[in-house]
Amino acid sequence: MNELLQQILNGLAIGSVYTLVALGLTVVFGILGIAHFAHGSLAMFGGYLTFVFSTSMGLSFFASIALAMPVGAVMGMLIERLAYRPVRDAPHINAFIIALGLTMMLEGGNLLLFGADQVIIQTPYQQVFDFGGIFVAQLRLVVIVTAVSLVAAVTWLLLKTKTGKSVRAVAQNRHAAVLMGVNVNFVSSVVFAISSALGVAAGALIGALLALAPGVGESFAVKGFAVLILGGLGSLPGAILGGLVLGVSESLAAGFLSSAYKDVISFLIMILVLLVMPQGLMGKK
Amino acid sequence: MKLKTPLTWAALALSAALMPVAHAADEVLVIGVNDALTGGGAVYGLPQANAVQMAADEINAAGGIKAGAINYKLKVITSDDKANPTEATNSVRKLIDRDNVKYLLGFCCSGSTSAVASFIAKEDAVMLVGNAAERAITAQGIPNVFRTRPPADFTGAAAGTFVAQKGARNVAVIGALEVGFYTQYVDAFEKELNKAGGKIIAKEAFGLRDRDMTPQLTKIRGLKPDAILVVGYVEPAAFVYRQAVELGLNVPRYGFTSGSEEQFLKVVTSAQMEGVWDLRPTELTVEALGPQAKAYDANYRKKFNQSPTPSSPYAYDQVYVLKNAIERAGSANDAKKVADAVRTLPIPKEAVMKYIANDGNAMFDQNGQAYTSNGAFQWQKGKWVFVSELPSDNKAYSQFLRSIRK
Repeated sequence: MNELLQQILNGLAIGSVYTLVALGLTVVFGILGIAHFAHGSLAMFGGYLTFVFSTSMGLSFFASIALAMPVGAVMGMLIERLAYRPVRDAPHINAFIIALGLTMMLEGGNLLLFGADQVIIQTPYQQVFDFGGIFVAQLRLVVIVTAVSLVAAVTWLLLKTKTGKSVRAVAQNRHAAVLMGVNVNFVSSVVFAISSALGVAAGALIGALLALAPGVGESFAVKGFAVLILGGLGSLPGAILGGLVLGVSESLAAGFLSSAYKDVISFLIMILVLLVMPQGLMGKK
Repeated sequence: MKLKTPLTWAALALSAALMPVAHAADEVLVIGVNDALTGGGAVYGLPQANAVQMAADEINAAGGIKAGAINYKLKVITSDDKANPTEATNSVRKLIDRDNVKYLLGFCCSGSTSAVASFIAKEDAVMLVGNAAERAITAQGIPNVFRTRPPADFTGAAAGTFVAQKGARNVAVIGALEVGFYTQYVDAFEKELNKAGGKIIAKEAFGLRDRDMTPQLTKIRGLKPDAILVVGYVEPAAFVYRQAVELGLNVPRYGFTSGSEEQFLKVVTSAQMEGVWDLRPTELTVEALGPQAKAYDANYRKKFNQSPTPSSPYAYDQVYVLKNAIERAGSANDAKKVADAVRTLPIPKEAVMKYIANDGNAMFDQNGQAYTSNGAFQWQKGKWVFVSELPSDNKAYSQFLRSIRK
């Protein structure tokens, strides 16, 4: 029993990072219909940037993230304006190809700027808590709490503010929203800003909990999409639930089956869900 | 330019007179370093490339290599194989065909090195292998392949004896087990552990890119081992050590990872590493080795602004092996002659690693394999400290290696 609980707890930390990544993907996909593959690499860029701020500027962990997130938001808005907006009304495949190209550019950029060695963001959260045989590292708790706070903040933003209302309107029906006077270009920028800011935070958390290295971003993008499919494309609660489910499933699969299944599990889940319940756990039919 | 006017003749004569007088026919000998300069293997490959450059610079500053009547200065070309077998094949082909290199050094990683070893016998070249630990590289007995680093299972057996002596009877293994030489290390380890009445209760795996090993460690924790053995590349292994502490796994941690203090401290705190063992070839340990090692350490730090990795001297020693072999053979143009000279070469006095001599006082045995002593190192207060030698029998191993040649 102890082992099961421990595996679940381990999985929740990674799962909450998946949730953050998936949330960034789902707002873009659900509201703008773009499969933004480059999100993973942008998240890594954000992580690297957080590392640079904390080492060269001596900022604390959260101060570095707080500084990196607006930078990420601006980059996201630039990407939307320069890469995706020109093909907004073209066939979806164009945006898809652009997303792949962007991924390659960002990965290459990260490699040039930050090198090939793994990068770990140091944090002061090194304690370990023992709850009767179940050990929880303080850092994992910090990751979970941070992710939850960001999710709550974004949810508040979308449900309780006027900007959020405009965003939801565009998601429901873009043409009607235009008719109602909503500035769709503004909404697109806001959506990408939110998505990228979340991505940067996810990258920073991964950089602190595990490591940033070439290739990590792409695998996160893929897992993010697995979560999207699991939770339901465009569904926020789905992304939250899906992320946690994926994180815990990976942990349980690696712990009880074999560590070889860890990465396979995300693909297996994607296939199963697409076969059995294509709208996802919380998606609309 | 017309060679008719006296002015042109004068110009020619003047430029000839102004040319620096060459030092008694100084020629350039180009040697090639083929190694993982980027990617996951770079933690081993890049320091090797640095070490070769440093050795070459030292040799050139001391006058170069004297092969018969010709004096050579070394020029090092590096080529990145990204620890990938296909890239390695292309990389070495370019060195041999395009750059006319006869002497290949470096070779940190087994997959890529094995790929090159599979065709090098047909080439007019000598291949000096460094950190790559896969046994088959020298087991095949290829006449122009030599390795300064002992095969992993030579060390694994010694480690198994040591851990058994420490009293461990139920050992859980977690490692990069889909990599051949790590499995060879574990198999040899297991054999010695079994002889002492112990057993391995779990074999969990992780990949080179994995960073979260908490599922495997949680599973291991449930099995209540009295020790764990971690075998793998330093980057993921560091996470294993950290996560073991974070999961409350308070048993002795033995490892085969060969990383420098800097590489570990990027990931795990010194307090978390306290007491971890590394059971590996003695490699670069300033206290365990002689003044050569101290000088190497100091020079490397000065030149590259970072500490040398424990396995980097395997490549440094390759350069001095080459120098001494060429001087013995009296020629740098005949790769076969140089290979034969390497075969009977005594251990060079400039060597940093502590080698154990083979029959005839030769550095390399009949398989082209050199043997260093194996040591037990422990992390104590932020540093790897040499504690004792591991009991190792190179003559017996050498015969075993010969016996498995197909």
